[in-house]
Amino acid sequence: MIQLSKNYSLPERDEEFIPIKVVSIGGAGLNALDRIVLDGLERADVVAINTDVQSLASSVVAHKVQLGRAVTRGLGAGGDPELGYEAAVESADEIREALTEARMVFMCVGLGGGTGSGAAPYVAQLAREAGALVVTFATLPFSFEGKRRGAQAREALARLNEIANAVICFENDQMGDIIAPKAGIHQAFAMADITISQSVRSIVNLIQRPGLIRIGFDDLLAVLRSPNGRCLFGFGESDSDNRAHDALAQALKNPLMDRGRMLADAASVLVQVAGGPGMTLSEVEILMQELGRHIHEQTQILFGTAVDGRMGNRLSVTIISSFATDEDLIPQQTQPAQSTVPAMPPVWEQPREIPPNVVIEPQPTTMEALSPADFIPPEQPVPAEIAPPPPASAIKKIEPHLPMPQKKSVPAKEEQPLAEKAAHAKQEVLQFEPVTRGRFEKSEPTIVEGEDLDVPTYLRKNIRVK
Amino acid sequence: MASSNLLIGLEIGTSKICVVVGETRPDGTIKILGVGQTPSRGVRKGEIVDFETAMKCVHEAVVDAEQKSDVMIRSVYVGVAGSHIQSFNNRGCVMLPEDRDEIDEQDVEDVKINAREVSIPAQNAFLHSIIQHYHVDGQDGVLNPVGMLGQKLEADFHIIHGVRTRIQNTIRCVKELPLDVEDVVFSALASAQVVLTQHEKNLGALVIDIGGGTTDYILYVDGAVKQSGCIAVGGDHITNDISMGLRIPMARAEKLKIEEGSCVLGNCLPGEAILLKDDSGFAGKEIERETLNTIIHLRLRETLELLKRRLEEQSFLDYLGAGIFITGGCSLLNSVDHLAGEIFEIPARVAHAQATSGVTSAVENPQFSTAIGLIRCAQALQVDRPRRRFGGIIGKFFSGMR
Repeated sequence: MIQLSKNYSLPERDEEFIPIKVVSIGGAGLNALDRIVLDGLERADVVAINTDVQSLASSVVAHKVQLGRAVTRGLGAGGDPELGYEAAVESADEIREALTEARMVFMCVGLGGGTGSGAAPYVAQLAREAGALVVTFATLPFSFEGKRRGAQAREALARLNEIANAVICFENDQMGDIIAPKAGIHQAFAMADITISQSVRSIVNLIQRPGLIRIGFDDLLAVLRSPNGRCLFGFGESDSDNRAHDALAQALKNPLMDRGRMLADAASVLVQVAGGPGMTLSEVEILMQELGRHIHEQTQILFGTAVDGRMGNRLSVTIISSFATDEDLIPQQTQPAQSTVPAMPPVWEQPREIPPNVVIEPQPTTMEALSPADFIPPEQPVPAEIAPPPPASAIKKIEPHLPMPQKKSVPAKEEQPLAEKAAHAKQEVLQFEPVTRGRFEKSEPTIVEGEDLDVPTYLRKNIRVK
Repeated sequence: MASSNLLIGLEIGTSKICVVVGETRPDGTIKILGVGQTPSRGVRKGEIVDFETAMKCVHEAVVDAEQKSDVMIRSVYVGVAGSHIQSFNNRGCVMLPEDRDEIDEQDVEDVKINAREVSIPAQNAFLHSIIQHYHVDGQDGVLNPVGMLGQKLEADFHIIHGVRTRIQNTIRCVKELPLDVEDVVFSALASAQVVLTQHEKNLGALVIDIGGGTTDYILYVDGAVKQSGCIAVGGDHITNDISMGLRIPMARAEKLKIEEGSCVLGNCLPGEAILLKDDSGFAGKEIERETLNTIIHLRLRETLELLKRRLEEQSFLDYLGAGIFITGGCSLLNSVDHLAGEIFEIPARVAHAQATSGVTSAVENPQFSTAIGLIRCAQALQVDRPRRRFGGIIGKFFSGMR
């Protein structure tokens, strides 16, 4: 299950730290970058790139690049990606200069507007030409921002997918879901910034932190490579007594994680556990065991661990994964994605292909199994007096989130005892001797509508609970 | 003077015995002076099954309350519950004599007696007769007919009755301590007095008091009680289900229910587990959260659906403008309001006693709704008939409370 990181040899492997640059493009990207800088980022340089001088001036980022001095004259790109692109082309030299020396470039960009959508693919291209690995963190606009903006965003996303080594995509709509409905709109936007900041910082840490079991950029790429760039990301940190459990629970609560349900479909999952010198093997074991329940048996786990004195008492978990397809995205994305994105990521990655057993392929059936409609909604009436349900449906009721593949993979082990036990439970109810009533054994029975209510409901309804 | 407006409510619950000492103020508000409570033993489903043990517990609770509030407790108002308590609506009618057409207080008394002249099982006794509305010569919705002119006075009453001996058991338990029993009040009626405001009663509201052993309910429409009753299923049943389903000791199950339980499904991670730490005589165990929630959910859903079927026998559920108010210890269970709202398709919320002063931390807990409500009832009763001694449970009714 657990695989050590492969030794993909970066040219500067011997160096203590890999030169990393975190670059923002456009206004939304700048907001995220400000958040990252304010939250504190170590072992990486930051660069802000924008057409709008005003927003550049108010940023806390030290290194700033203004795009298109002649084309936009210090104003924004006005929501026009063409203008954004032209501005970037005009300032190509400055961008190149800003990106020199970087072996890895993390780009933060809000898609949908002019600068972000137009300039980001070009900047990514320049970075790639300079020999850097490019990971893009992109936000898609809220759906209320209009279809036009959404289309521009998706087009730009498709271009980025083509150029960048990996794209991690955040949907603003999803950010909106996790904050209170009454919270101000700025909070919804801030939530996106916070999530991006958390992701960037934890990935930078993940790569830069000296690891006992090191996670390399190759692992990261293997995990992030997916046709539509939908990425699962979770980060949790805790210093409680039960910190392994708490940190994992927190990581799984991340909005991009959908409470861990999506993990079931991932082909490979990258996990890094970092802690202070006090981190014990058993803690890591507990954590990985617990995580194991959320993922498919066939899933490849890329595991890394690091001890960092600065962590003190805390233990942090970073989970990164991506999944192949998403029914929400396919219909909207079909035209741009299919027409512009090649089926495979850029050519030069091919030699370092992930092992054949983890080739990501679309799994529509498994996605189907995970769709919300298949979860048993709480309001579903439970059959009361009809014949005992077949064991299969009983299982489904109790473990609604159990993904289909898991069942398929261990049919012989699982289903046999279940069927037996279900039959056993049924027999219990049919006994002439009154079934057990627990602590109500000696009290007057509560018979309502022909049922003895003192007997546990799940027994009377023949629902298996374990 | 101090003792005259001192009111004590005693609730002998299945999970706890609770004594609330309160004081009425001249402006009609209630100040809570102290709350005494002990875990209950010898009580099942709201009724005493072990007399000696229950008596000891009541004594402990009373002593606790005396210490905390610094008063001597001599007489109490007692809440009763239990599956034997039933209710129905009945209309009484009196004709005024030929030579008089102004309705006086005597006529109102007569109509009350008339309304209670219905057959209830021989072993049963009236607990409450609560006035809903008067009708004068066919005119509906008269609130106070005294002084009106008419020939025929009718009155709709909501009558709550229960098995006499079983009510007397509770009374005897208190009397042997010895304490005087001022009156007995059906616990849901008591809870409703502090959970609901008059405005909410007028709008129409359903109070569901899910306690340890019983689920009591009372439904108000147009400010009048329309339906009430008791289902002998409560938090104890949930605990028992958990204990049997997960095969863990009762005390563990209770703790697990309170600390981790939720009655909404599909809210936890697949495979998410709760670790029960080992203890003397109990090996540690991992429990799947979804399993725990399923057990709780099934039980509460069944209970609430049963209640819904009972309430649907009459069509008052459609008139609940203020919605559903859930109180009692089990209302502290996570998301119980969501479940109720979903089953009844009416907005539901968890509520606790309102509009009191004093030890408010005690008040702001749905567990104490009934005990505090008893004080409110006592206040209403005292206004209605000042210092009338408790004289047997037959022949008691109070119309002052609505």
